This record gives sequence, structure tokens and C-alpha cells, in this order.
Amino acid sequence: MRNFRRTLNLVIGLLLVVFAIKGLDLALYPCTFVRNDIHTVTTEQKDVIILGTSNGMSDLDPDAMLEGTGKSGHNLCVGGEYPVDAYYLTKLILEKQKPETVIFELSPGYFTTEKEKGNNYLLFYHEFPLSFAKAEYYMATMLDCDFRSPLFAFHEYELSFELSKVKDTLYQKLTDNYDVSYLKGTVQEYHENGFIEKYPVSVENFPGYSPTLFSEDEVKKTNMEYLDRLIQLCKENDIEFIATTMPLSAVMLVQEEESYRKAWDYFAEYFRMQGVTYYNFNREYYMNFGHELTNYVDYDGHMNGESARAFSKVFGELVFGTSIL
Amino acid sequence: MALTSNMFFLFTIVGLCIYYTVPVRMQWMVLLVCSYCYYILVSVPAVFFLIFSTAVTYGCALWIHRIRLSGQNEKKSAGKRKRIVALGLFLNIGMLGFLKYFNFFIENVNRISGGHISFLHLLLPLGISYYTFQTAGYLLDVYWGRVPAESNPLKYALFVSFFPQLVQGPIGRYGRLAAQLTAEHKLEFSRIKYGLERIVWGLFKKMIVSEWASIYREAIFAQPEQYSGIAIFGVLLYTVELYGDFAGGIDIVIGIAALFGITLDENFRQPFFAVSISDFWTRWHISLGSWMKDYVFYPLTLSGFMVKCQKKAKARLGRKKGRFITIAFSNLVVFVLVGLWHGPSWNNIGWGFYNGVIIAISGFLTDVYQTWKKKLHIQDQSRGYRLFMMMRTFALFNIGQYFDCVDSFGQALQMIRYSFTCFQPSQFLLISSGKTGTAYTPYALLILGIGCLLWLAVSILKERGIKMEELFTKVPPALEFAGFLLLFLCIPLFSPMSVARGFIYAQF
Repeated sequence: MRNFRRTLNLVIGLLLVVFAIKGLDLALYPCTFVRNDIHTVTTEQKDVIILGTSNGMSDLDPDAMLEGTGKSGHNLCVGGEYPVDAYYLTKLILEKQKPETVIFELSPGYFTTEKEKGNNYLLFYHEFPLSFAKAEYYMATMLDCDFRSPLFAFHEYELSFELSKVKDTLYQKLTDNYDVSYLKGTVQEYHENGFIEKYPVSVENFPGYSPTLFSEDEVKKTNMEYLDRLIQLCKENDIEFIATTMPLSAVMLVQEEESYRKAWDYFAEYFRMQGVTYYNFNREYYMNFGHELTNYVDYDGHMNGESARAFSKVFGELVFGTSIL
Repeated sequence: MALTSNMFFLFTIVGLCIYYTVPVRMQWMVLLVCSYCYYILVSVPAVFFLIFSTAVTYGCALWIHRIRLSGQNEKKSAGKRKRIVALGLFLNIGMLGFLKYFNFFIENVNRISGGHISFLHLLLPLGISYYTFQTAGYLLDVYWGRVPAESNPLKYALFVSFFPQLVQGPIGRYGRLAAQLTAEHKLEFSRIKYGLERIVWGLFKKMIVSEWASIYREAIFAQPEQYSGIAIFGVLLYTVELYGDFAGGIDIVIGIAALFGITLDENFRQPFFAVSISDFWTRWHISLGSWMKDYVFYPLTLSGFMVKCQKKAKARLGRKKGRFITIAFSNLVVFVLVGLWHGPSWNNIGWGFYNGVIIAISGFLTDVYQTWKKKLHIQDQSRGYRLFMMMRTFALFNIGQYFDCVDSFGQALQMIRYSFTCFQPSQFLLISSGKTGTAYTPYALLILGIGCLLWLAVSILKERGIKMEELFTKVPPALEFAGFLLLFLCIPLFSPMSVARGFIYAQF
């Protein structure tokens, strides 16, 4: 009897701990656009999935890109999305659906830096539904992190805790609401297809820029390993894999000419070896789209909404043009 | 695999499940497998050094034990045993010395000679300073006949490698630890509860108190000119950071060991209530202090050479002073070694020397103090005098810290100068508290302050002899649970947003 009561108390205690953590998570971890993105790709069939970094996120509008093709697409690019994230996102998608094409937007700087441990992974991990991909992603990325990372995702918002958003957060989570109007900011707007439209910024107001220079010696093995695995995963599942690099401003291409040249050489050779088509809009396809600073909102190569739509059309015609015909 | 990582917690949970599932007589084998798996996960090459240290001390101890039992002529046997223990210590401590201090030696040779001898790329195995001392202590205990030699190599290997304590101690003693490791343990609710509470308390110290302190300390020491008005807080924060980091880590280690039914030695006993530096060293890193006392201080002080020196000193300087001189010398040796143990740098040696000198001076001035106290009618046990002594000890410790937390002697002097010439606490508000910038600095400072006060309150209770575990038995279980749940949730809510920094003492 005494043992039963102790066990019961222990179970109640553990349940209380779980409820307390879950409750705090519900209230304090805000609804991000990644929540919408992952919800969309795990509940709706999409023909084209775009993976990559903030450049892909702001430069590729799936609707404009696939206009007239009859295909549907979703942009899953996020600033801070490394090949490891892209790989597990694809694995997650494959558990729920099978896209025809995966477009991988490549920013060379992401291959010479290592993803920081900890909360950087949470942006994705937190939104993954219960799945094998989530378990694998945990094993690959979270084991070395300190215990706060997966258990207390709200810890990322230390002290401030986005308290002003608690009401909206609770409402959205409790009612399963994915309304994009909550994600509209003062400098950008999230669209249902995952595209983030940046509002125009005049060149004189561009923020400062410190580029991550590329050199082959600094390429991190882990990043290339996950890119290999991503390509292999697509091949195994009969998914077309396309790589691309977004057009950067001519000013930056000239300023960091040597670093970019090394990067383009390296990846052109890599994709040739892998048998992957690589659309680089800063070299082979340079002339397909303008590189004026007025197309951008910063020196990093993030386009404003209007230019992004125009570019997406160009991209769509180039990549999917033949299939339309 | 840091003590706060998911990997470590998962590893521990899996280990515990297996430990309490297998037949009790096999539990120690599970612990041994877990310990070696842990070490392999950390570093495969480092395992060879762990095995080497284990094998050498196991073999030498058994050899000594067999010679003792062989019934040989005592004089002959003693000589043999001495040579074996010397060989064992030479190999064991020699390995530590070579791996940890060889490059420091080369650096100094280069500096003196202007040469360019290349450094060696040496592996410094995790926890080597701890397990080397643990094994050396065991070997000496067997040599002195304090404990019998362990005949089962696997049981001995577990004593050396027990995974919770391997990384940052406490340095275990064979006499107290070995039997517990191989004993049969039933799953006891009270021990699990105690272990979990200790872990939460340790995480609180490390992740809230120590980590917030480290953010401000780093900012102050990175730009001493900009933050000259809070230089004095810089060193105080360093003390808080160090104490929170080490004591927090030890709490986690003791808590995890408790989950396995094993009681490890305490490593801290309210060190900032110490009334002298000697007292401080019986309360701070107790396992290292007591190891040094038992295996260096007493053997050195009682060695033939020192006894001769003491006789000569007594003859020249009188009985008391002569005795003090030899003790002071032994203390200096001990504290220089303690400094060196912390790492191969002149900062550490200087810090150790400083502690040794303070203790030596205190010894010489004992009579003077007594005279003053008599003249001023000060009672040793009066509250005011004790408070004064505590503050004096705290100040002396912190002066030493100036030299420990900077890169050069010049920088330490600069910080001391700022501490006594500039005072502008508002400069704290200019320090960024992480992702939120300076906007939340006042809140972060408040959290740090409350954390320190809570810790101080617990320390006062403990200093008064109140055992927290006993205190909790008087509280309704629901209230106790609520308190610890709150403390647990405070960790993610109020700790700084960062990947937990590694434990400082895990580097040694």
C-alpha cells in the first residue's frame, strides 16, 4: 500500500512537471513562421519544395515561380538553415508527402561556418510534429546541447519572453490557428507559400555588411556531409534535386570577387561530380537578372518583394520553362 | 559530454534503468561499463591513459600487499615496498606531469634561453588530474597499510573511473568509496529524491548564479578602462562565478551518484564563512585540500629531512619559531602544488604561493594576534570578531583572485588600482545581458542578486548545523515538491540565453 502511494505520488509529480513545462512552452514560445511552414508541408501536397537560407526565403516566391506550370510549391528557406536542417526537413516531408522537385538555395558562407549549438536548432525542432525525422534530428543535433534546449524552447527568448504576444500565442496554439496576418511585421511580410516579402529600403539606409568570406580550406565537413546526404535522399526517392545561388548585387560581387570566384568554382565542381544541375545567377546565369543595388534591401543580397517576384518568374521560366512547353 | 548536456542526462537515465533492473550483485559491473562507455564517448585515445593509470597503481598496490604478506625480512621488505611505491608514483604522476606540464616547461626553457624548441601536441585526457590523484592516494594508502590492496582489477577500475566524479571530482578515497561502489543498492525513494534535489540545486548555482556572474565579469575584464568604476565587482563576480560553477558541478555529481545509491564526499562547506585562509582550505575543494594534507603536507613535514631542519631551526630561533618555519615551508610547497594542479601557468603558481604565504604569515602572527585580542578584550567566539575574521578572509581570498582571473600581472595591478580609485556602480547598466542588450540588465542583476541571497540563506542554515534534508522532512511533501519544481523552472526562465559554458574545473 505504501509503495503504491509512493509510486502514485511519483507519477503525479512527474505529470505536474510535464504540465508545467508544457504550459510554459504554450504561453512563452511564440508562433513563428517556421510553425506555419512546417504545418503546410506536413499537411498539404506540394510539388516543389525550396530549401535554403534567408536569401532563398526573400528571393523566391513559389507562386510567381510556378505561375502557369500547374505546380504548387512552398518556400522552406530560413535564415540560419544549414544543410543539416535542410536534410531533416526533407526527411520529415518525405514521411508525409513526396514532392517532385527540391530546390536547394546555396549561400557559400553557410558552408564555411558551423551551426551554433543550442537554440539555433530549436526554430525547426520545436515545430517538427512527432515523427521519426524529429527523433533523428534530435539525435543528430540536440545531444550535445545543454538540457534547456529541447525541453525549454522558450528559453531562447530569455527575460523578454515576448510577453506582449502571450495572448496571441495562446490563442493561435489553442485554436490551431495559422493565420499569416500575425506574422506581418514592419519591414517584411510572410506569405502562405513561405515567401517573405521584404519592403523596399533605399540604398543609403542599407545596414552595414560584414561578409563571410569563402575558402575551400574552411569548408566544414559536416555541412558537406549533410548536403551529400540530402542529394542522396532525393535520388533514392526519385525527387529531382536542383541547386541554385541567388543573384547578388554587382557591387558585392566586385568587392569580394576573389572569395566568390573560389566559392563558385568549388560548388560548380561539386555539383558536376554529383550530377546535379546548378543555377548560379552570379556566373553562368549572371545576365538573366539585374544586379543593381535598387533590387535589394541590404548588401547581403536580400531582394525587395517586387524584385523577388520578378526574379522568381525568371527563375521559373529558366528551371521549369521546358516542362511548361 | 558536459554534465549539463542532454547526452549526459540521457546517458545517466539509461544507466540508472539498467542499474536497477539487473540483479543487485551485477550492479557494480553496470557502473563499470557505464563509466568506460562515458569515457569512450568523450575521447577514445584518453581511455588508454585511464587504463594505464589504473593498471600501474593496481599492479604496484597488489605487489606491495603481497610483499607485506610474504613474511620477508621487515627491513628488506620495507625497502622493496618503498621502491615499488616510488615506481608507481613516478609512472602515474609522471604521466600527468608530462601531459599537463611538458609544454609549460618548454615554454619557460624557450623564454629563458631564447630558444625555439617546438611544443608537443599532447592530449590532455579529461579528468586526468582527478583520477591521477585518486589512484596515487590509493597506492600510498596501501603502502602505509591504511587499506588492503584490491585484488579484483575490475572493481579497482570502477573506483578509478566512476563516471559522475571522473570529470571534476571530488577526488575519492578508496577507504570510503570502493566498498560503496561494489555494494548492492536497492532503489530507494528517499535517495532518488535527495539526488534529484541536489541536481536541481546544482543546476541553479551553475546556470543562474554562475552564468549571469560570468557575463558581467567577462565584460568588465574585457574592457577594464570602460568599466573601471565596477572593477571591484569584476573580481567579486569572478569569485561568485567560480564558486557557482564548481559547487554547482559538484552538487550535480553528488546528486547523480546518490541516484546510484552512492555517497560521495562533500567538496564544499560554506567556504566564505571561513575565519582564516587555513580554515578556508578546509571548506573549499575539500577533497583536494585533504588529499594535499594527507599525502603531501604530513609526509613532507614528518620526513627525515624536515625533522632535521626543524631541529636546527628550533636551536637557532627558539622552539615556536623553529616549528613554524618548517610548517610554513611545507605549506608553501603544498600551495604551490595546489596552484600547479589548477594548470600550468605562472598565474596559478603565483596564486598558490600567495595562499601559502598568507598562511605562513598567519602562523607567525598568531602570538601577536593573541596579545592584541587580550589588550582589546576581544572574545574569539564573539559574533563581531567572527564576522570581522570572515570578511578579512573573504578579502584576502579575493585579492588572490585578481591574479587568477587576468592574463598578466600588469592587468591584475591595473584592476586593483581601479578597484580602489574608481567606483561607479551605474556602469553595470552599460553591459549587455545577451540577446536582449542592455534593456534587461537591471532584471538580470536582480536575478543574480536574488540567486546569491537564496544561496547565502541556505549556507547560513547549513553553517548553523541545520541539514537541509532534515529540514525538508518537516515540510509537507507537496510544499517541498512545489518548491523544487519552482526552482527547477527558474533555471530555464531566468538563466542567460546561451549554451551552458563548460565547467571551469572540468578543464583540470
